[in-house]
Amino acid sequence: MIAKHDVLVVGAGCAGMRAAIEAHDAGADVAMISKLHPTRSHSGAAEGGINAALGNAAEDSPEIHAFDTVKGSDYLGDQDSIEIFCAEAPGDIIQLEHWGAVFSRRADGKLAQRPFGAAGSPRTVYAADITGHVLIQVLWEQVCKREITVYEEFFAWQLVVNDGRCQGVICWDLLRGGLKTLGGKTIVMATGGAGRQYRATTNAYACTGDGMAMALHAGLPLKDMEFMQFHPTTLYPSGVLITEGCRGEGGYLINKDGERFMKRYAPNALELASRDVVSRSEQTEIDEGRGVNGSVFLDLRHLGAERILERLPGSRELAMTFAGVDPIYDPIPVRPGAHYHMGGIATDSDGATELDGLYAAGECACVSIHGANRLGGNSLMETITFGRRAGRAAAEWALSHTTVEVPESAERDAERELRELLSREEGERPWKLREELGQSMLENFGVFRREEGMARQIEIIQGLRERYRNVYVEDKGHVFNSDLTQAIELGNMLDTALCMVTAGLARKESRGAHSRPYDYPNRDDENFLHHSITRWRDGEVELSTAPVRMTKWEPQERKY
Amino acid sequence: MQVALKIWRYDSSTGERALKEYEVDAPEEATLLDCLDLIKDRYDGTLAYRKSCRMMICGSCGMRMDGAAVLACKTRMYEIAQAGRVPVISAMGNLPVVKDLVVDMQPFWDKFRAIKPYLEPGYEQPEDGREYRISQEQMNVIHKESLCINCGCCVSECNAMESNPEFLGPQALAKGMRFVGDPRDAATVERLEAYNSEHGIWECTRCYFCNERCPKGVDPRDAIAKLGAESVRLGIDRDMGARHAKWFIRSAETTGWLRETELVPKTQGVVASIKQMRFALSLARHGKVPPPFPPHVAKDVREARNLRKLVRMQDRQGALGHVQGERALERLAHGHAGETLEEIYARPGAAPRPYLPGDETEGAA
Ligand SMILES: Cc1cc2nc3c(=O)[nH]c(=O)nc-3n(C[C@H](O)[C@H](O)[C@H](O)COP(=O)(O)OP(=O)(O)OC[C@H]3O[C@@H](n4cnc5c(N)ncnc54)[C@H](O)[C@@H]3O)c2cc1C
Ligand code: SF4
Ligand code: SF4
Ligand code: FES
Repeated sequence: MIAKHDVLVVGAGCAGMRAAIEAHDAGADVAMISKLHPTRSHSGAAEGGINAALGNAAEDSPEIHAFDTVKGSDYLGDQDSIEIFCAEAPGDIIQLEHWGAVFSRRADGKLAQRPFGAAGSPRTVYAADITGHVLIQVLWEQVCKREITVYEEFFAWQLVVNDGRCQGVICWDLLRGGLKTLGGKTIVMATGGAGRQYRATTNAYACTGDGMAMALHAGLPLKDMEFMQFHPTTLYPSGVLITEGCRGEGGYLINKDGERFMKRYAPNALELASRDVVSRSEQTEIDEGRGVNGSVFLDLRHLGAERILERLPGSRELAMTFAGVDPIYDPIPVRPGAHYHMGGIATDSDGATELDGLYAAGECACVSIHGANRLGGNSLMETITFGRRAGRAAAEWALSHTTVEVPESAERDAERELRELLSREEGERPWKLREELGQSMLENFGVFRREEGMARQIEIIQGLRERYRNVYVEDKGHVFNSDLTQAIELGNMLDTALCMVTAGLARKESRGAHSRPYDYPNRDDENFLHHSITRWRDGEVELSTAPVRMTKWEPQERKY
Repeated sequence: MQVALKIWRYDSSTGERALKEYEVDAPEEATLLDCLDLIKDRYDGTLAYRKSCRMMICGSCGMRMDGAAVLACKTRMYEIAQAGRVPVISAMGNLPVVKDLVVDMQPFWDKFRAIKPYLEPGYEQPEDGREYRISQEQMNVIHKESLCINCGCCVSECNAMESNPEFLGPQALAKGMRFVGDPRDAATVERLEAYNSEHGIWECTRCYFCNERCPKGVDPRDAIAKLGAESVRLGIDRDMGARHAKWFIRSAETTGWLRETELVPKTQGVVASIKQMRFALSLARHGKVPPPFPPHVAKDVREARNLRKLVRMQDRQGALGHVQGERALERLAHGHAGETLEEIYARPGAAPRPYLPGDETEGAA
């Protein structure tokens, strides 16, 4: 053990930094561990905005926000957490503003709020099209102010569970090499999403579900893992997000014949129908052969050069850089891509897991406020509100306990496992497996899911896990060995993907992001109004269920 | 397409350094980062570089291509490969190399921390417990500075840092301007005092390399200029650099041109200028500086004076005197020849014209 802290936060995106700041302010000695420098976290890529019922642009209240969220979740969200979330969000936004967040403003000087999909009121606070960047910067500034320790470019690999408590994290030091163990009275996981399991994703290379896998391997339950939200306009082929603003400005979605196909799926809302509807429509076009290279097109040509340059310069730059397409002259190739993971480490409204001393917040956690489908703008808010709550709870627990102990055997076992991986002199390099996983997840566990496809996907993942046992790391060095960490990330993606597909296969209904139009096209509250729980038992997935926490909203049909 | 790259490999644990050439078969839309990924996966797993977002926002992938800093994920390889060029890829400059294309960012972050990179609110919080009320125009002053992604490309190319590693540098100073220009920050004077001290704003050589290389349009040199203007406005002008700048203005206002002979005493003081006397005389002998007396007054001096007046009248003293955001916009406004929509739809190879199903009139979509 190289150091001990009261609270160790694993991950330094919006959720991790917010948790660390809160734990610090509660009087705890806190440190963060992150495989990337904090400002490199993928929270920084968020564009659209963050939801809080401030009521600056129109009449709004936490109750309306809560109802929108419950309905959006297709009634799978835990309503007690949703109520806390919506009530506390406005205060959290005001605090961010006081810390210096550079949000966009209204003419009266108040924070501007824009309308977002499926929201009853314009409640999305934003900073032009760089909201996430602005949040990451302001949190990092506050972390610097408090001089919170950051174990930067430390790759967290395993949790240490001792005496029925989580007491430490075993990490690989990327910059200097070597296994380093850190002790903590409490650990907060904030490692973000897992979109890299898919070949088409808006997620960064670092979004590999490490925290979910670490918790899973430590015996903790992952909740609602089958729910992966797809965003309808991700650039082909890179997967970079093209903002909804393009459709908001009047962009058309067309197939290879130029037909604005949304007319056939959502005759009134057309391109502005909700995310899941648009994603499914696009996928149907592609599946029925009216796409090109597995994508359809976002056509902005009719908006004219001036409007594109003035209103959508960021999207134009992305299209030009990553697809070589100038939207003034050519439509942008887009397809649905994995975007946001609703599922994750099961926690209560304070971020606490079932293991003493272990907390989780942000995209790696499942509180659950998103249920089967997240509303745009709710996840950034979740990182802040539940990051804060988890940080507070972790600090309070830590301050009432004294000891931290990491048994030597834990470090020895990890050391042995690492040696085994590094000493392998031949085998398959990880990239091949990674590509096969990404491709097959997109085909068999994408926008639409079929019984046979999911069954086949489980076999594919099992096959890949088998091959993973012989995976070969070419770099044997100690300094910045990303070959090693990428191999570990692959293992994490394989295990979490197995949980996802296992839970998906068992959910014989269509709910939110889990869509089975061919065999179970409807929501089935009688049999499936429950959370899916997956655990690791002897290297395999064990599936069970847990009730949804309801307070005052009875399930209704979800229509927009 | 075939893409060839030469990469400077380096291992700090052994000190070995070598230029290695690689060739990969990459898709046409590949960026430099995609090519590095292909090399790492297919040919050499030991290649080290940073990456994460692959969408120009996380700031991980700064490196040099043919000696100039770029974001690998922002650099398209198509034109380079078509031209048959084999670019040389190396780690960023002005920062110690750890391995291959990975540098130690510690010196970068030390400077970042040194400028007190957080808001010092100081003012009373709004009584209703809500947000500060600030107009968008006031916030626009720091629009460009708040785009910074801490990638280090500017620092890599900074000439002042190359000769003096202690110089705070373009990124930290741009971050400083982000707070100086923020109407919520109450520490403006303390900040400017600090940024005016040794290794602060006046050490910048104005080479503009930082503006040139910044991938996000932050224009750090402009931020430094704004800090200088704010300092002078608030009377923080002890530094030679500030006095130098002030003399430029004074000189232009009074005679409409720069009176170089007075520049030295005004900037460095009388004692220092006496020491420079011999140098000055020799310059004069070679016709490099005009004789100081009688002072020459430019014909159109009134224009220079009117310009100054205008700046005062519009209350654009200090940072407000700098036009906001023009470069960031200019950067994007290329490549449109002004065709009509019909012409665009009729271009050879254009995608079909959009139409609504069931709508008979062609082009009615
Ligand atoms: C392109 C895009 C746009 C989006 N736009 C919006 C939006 O407009 N509004 C909205 O509400 N939501 C949006 N989202 C979703 C939202 O941004 C994310 O859900 C949220 O930012 C996740 O934050 P986080 O703190 O949980 O994780 P992240 O920000 O991803 O941070 C994860 C952290 O964990 C660290 N980490 C991971 N694994 C390890 C490990 N093994 N060891 C050590 N450290 C580790 C990383 O270094 C990083 O610091 C968007 C998402 C994407 C991809
Ligand atoms: S203009 Fe100044 S800060 Fe910018 S690179 Fe040149 S010397 Fe450095
Ligand atoms: S100013 Fe520009 S080049 Fe410098 S660190 Fe910021 S984004 Fe990078
Ligand atoms: S990988 Fe994030 S900026 Fe290039």
